[in-house]
Amino acid sequence: MVQINYRAEVIPEACTGCVDCVFVCPTLAITMENRKAVIDESKCVACQNCQGVCDDDAIVKVERAEPVERGIDYKSVDQDRILEICKRANIHPSQWLCLCTATRAREGVAAILKGATTPEEMALATGTRSGCTVYCAMMSMRLLKAAGVNLPPNFKWHLFDTTQTLWDVPKDVIEKYSDYFLEEDKDVFRKF
Amino acid sequence: MTMIDVASLGKAKPSYIRKSMYGPATATGLPAMRAADLPGMVGLPVAALFPDIPKAIYVEGDDLTPIRKATEAALVNCDMSKIKPNSSVNILTSQYGFMIMGGFAYREVVRSIKEVVEQRTGCRNIRLRIATGFRLKEPQEVIEHYGLAEMFDGKVSPALYVDRAVAIDTAIGKLMGIRKIYDADYIIHVHHGELRELDMHRMISRTMKPFSMSYARFETRSVHHMNFGPRSSNLIPRLIFESPFVQEKFTFGCFMAASPQGVTGIEAGNDLMPIDRRLMLLAFKSYGKIRELYNEIKDCVVIMDGTGEPRYMVGGGTTFGNLLEAELDLFDLDAVPISLGFGLYQPPPNQPKLKAVNPAIRAMVMNHFWTGVPHLELATAAPMFLVGNEMQKLVKEDCMNIEMSKHVVTAESLPAAVKFAKRVANTENVIVFDGAYGAITCSEALADHLIKRAPAVSERVEKELMPKWLRQRGLDPAEAL
Repeated sequence: MVQINYRAEVIPEACTGCVDCVFVCPTLAITMENRKAVIDESKCVACQNCQGVCDDDAIVKVERAEPVERGIDYKSVDQDRILEICKRANIHPSQWLCLCTATRAREGVAAILKGATTPEEMALATGTRSGCTVYCAMMSMRLLKAAGVNLPPNFKWHLFDTTQTLWDVPKDVIEKYSDYFLEEDKDVFRKF
Repeated sequence: MTMIDVASLGKAKPSYIRKSMYGPATATGLPAMRAADLPGMVGLPVAALFPDIPKAIYVEGDDLTPIRKATEAALVNCDMSKIKPNSSVNILTSQYGFMIMGGFAYREVVRSIKEVVEQRTGCRNIRLRIATGFRLKEPQEVIEHYGLAEMFDGKVSPALYVDRAVAIDTAIGKLMGIRKIYDADYIIHVHHGELRELDMHRMISRTMKPFSMSYARFETRSVHHMNFGPRSSNLIPRLIFESPFVQEKFTFGCFMAASPQGVTGIEAGNDLMPIDRRLMLLAFKSYGKIRELYNEIKDCVVIMDGTGEPRYMVGGGTTFGNLLEAELDLFDLDAVPISLGFGLYQPPPNQPKLKAVNPAIRAMVMNHFWTGVPHLELATAAPMFLVGNEMQKLVKEDCMNIEMSKHVVTAESLPAAVKFAKRVANTENVIVFDGAYGAITCSEALADHLIKRAPAVSERVEKELMPKWLRQRGLDPAEAL
C-alpha cells in the first residue's frame, strides 16, 4: 500500500498554457481549461513530473489534507492467473514492478485482473509511477500486453510502446554481440 | 612498503557542496557542520595505501589549466571534418559530470571542446545540452551555477527524459531518444570515465551508456534497467549508438577520466571502442584495489555529507555504491549478477533484495544529500539517522522513497547522530562520503584498519583478481598491464 501525502497544485496566474505538463503526467491527471492547466486531485500521485517540466514555476507541491492510499492485495485475485500472465511476460510474480513504491509484478497483474486496461489505470490502482515514473513504465506495459490488453494509441509524447526485452533479441543480434551475455542473463532469469 | 602512522594523518578536505532545491532547505542550503570537522576524523591518502593508483592531473581547487591542456591535446587527433561552418552542433553532457569535484573540471572540458571546435571548423552554432537523472530541475540549476548560458550565448537547454521524443531504429526495434539531444546536425558526446555505478554497467560499453540513459527518454531507460539483465542491458546503449540515426550525427566522444586520486586525463576520439577499452583498464587499475579494500571493512558507520544522491556520493574518490556492494566483485563478469529488474538473485525461499546492501554497513548518518533516486533499501537494511529537521522534511517529502520516513530517526546535530549511530553499530569505524578525491575521510580506527589491510588487498588484486577480470574480457594480462 502506497500512501500519497502530497499533490500538485497549479498557480493559475503563473500558468502560460504551454501544455508541457499535460503529457508528462503518468496518470493523465492534467487537462487544459481556458488555456490553464487543471489538475484532477483524485488522479494526482504526486510524482512531481509536472512541476519539474514547468518553466514558469506554475506548479507546486502541497500537502494533502488527508493522505490517499493506493495499492492492491494480490491475494484477492486468482493466483493461477497471476502466474499465467507473469509467465507469458517472462516476469517473476515477486519481481519488482516499481522500486520507489516497493510494488511487485503480482500486484500489477492483480490490478489488470481487477479491470485496469491502461498503464495509467495500473498506476492509479497500484500506486506505481508515483515516484521516479521511469523504471516501472515498461514493466506495466509488458504485463498489460501479456494479459492480452490492446494498448491505446500513443497520446502525443506521453508514453511510447517500446517494450523490448531480453527475450525479444533476434538470434543474429545475440550472435553478433556475444560478449554481452544475452544467453547467460536469460539463464539467470530462468533460474529465478 | 612502510606502514603509514595514523597519528601523522592530516585533516580531511571535503568537497564543496552545491546548493540545490533537491537538498535540505537549511538557512544556507548547506549543513551546519561537515563530517570532516568531527573530532577524530582524518584524511587517509589513497596514494599512501596504493601508490600505483593512477595519478591525478587535477584535484578540486587546483588551477584548471591542466584540464584545458589535456582536452586540447586529446582533441588533436579527432576528425571534425563533418562539421561545417554552417552546421549546428550539440555538445551533450550529463548532470553527474558537474558533481565531480565541484563540477568545474567538467565545465572546463566542455568549454575547451567548444572553443577548439569553433577554431577548427569555423562553426558558431554550437549548443549545449544537459541531460539529467530524475531531478528534472537540476539542469537549470547547473546552467545557472556554472554560467553556461553565458558560455554558449544562450544556446543551452536541459534535456529531460519526459521531453519530446525522437524514435531511433535499432537492431531490436525502435528505442526512444530525447529530441533536444539530437536536434542538431551533429553531436559531440562529453562524458566522464569515473566508475559511478558499476552494478549497472559492469564496465561493458561504459563509454556508450548515456545513449540509453542520459540521452534517452524514460521508456528506453526502463527497457535498459528493467527488461534486461545487468550484463546484457549494456547492449541497449551500444545498439542505439550504432544505429544509422546516431552514427549520422555522431562526431566524436570526449571523456574526463578519473581515478580515486582525481582527474587523471582526457580521452577523446571518433571511435569509442578503443576509448572504452582504455577506460576499462583504467577502472581496473584505479578502483579494483579500493573496492577490495572496502570489502575489508567488516563493520562501519557511514556518513553522507556531500552533493547528490547517496549511491553516487564520493568518498576516497569512489562512489558509495562501491561500498554498498563491496561484498560482490562486480568487475567479475561471472559473479552473481544484480539488476533492478530482478534484484539480487537468491534461491527460494528468500526473496530478491531491492538492491544489495553490504552487511558491513551497520548504521548510516545522513548529514547532507539530495533526493532523486530510489534508495529505500538503505533505510531498511541499516539504522538510519537524519541530521536536523530540514533533512527530516526532505526525506518525508521524497516521492521516490515514500516509505523511507517510516524507517529513520532524526538527531538534532551531526555529533549527536554519529554518537548514537556508533553506539547502535557498536563500532568506532566511521567512513564519510563527502565528495573528496585523493583521501578517504574516516575515523582513526578505520584508517588504522585500512592501512593494515591494504598490502594484502594489493597482492590479491594483482595476483588473482586483475588477471581474471582481464581474461574475462579477452585481454592477456601480460600484454594489457
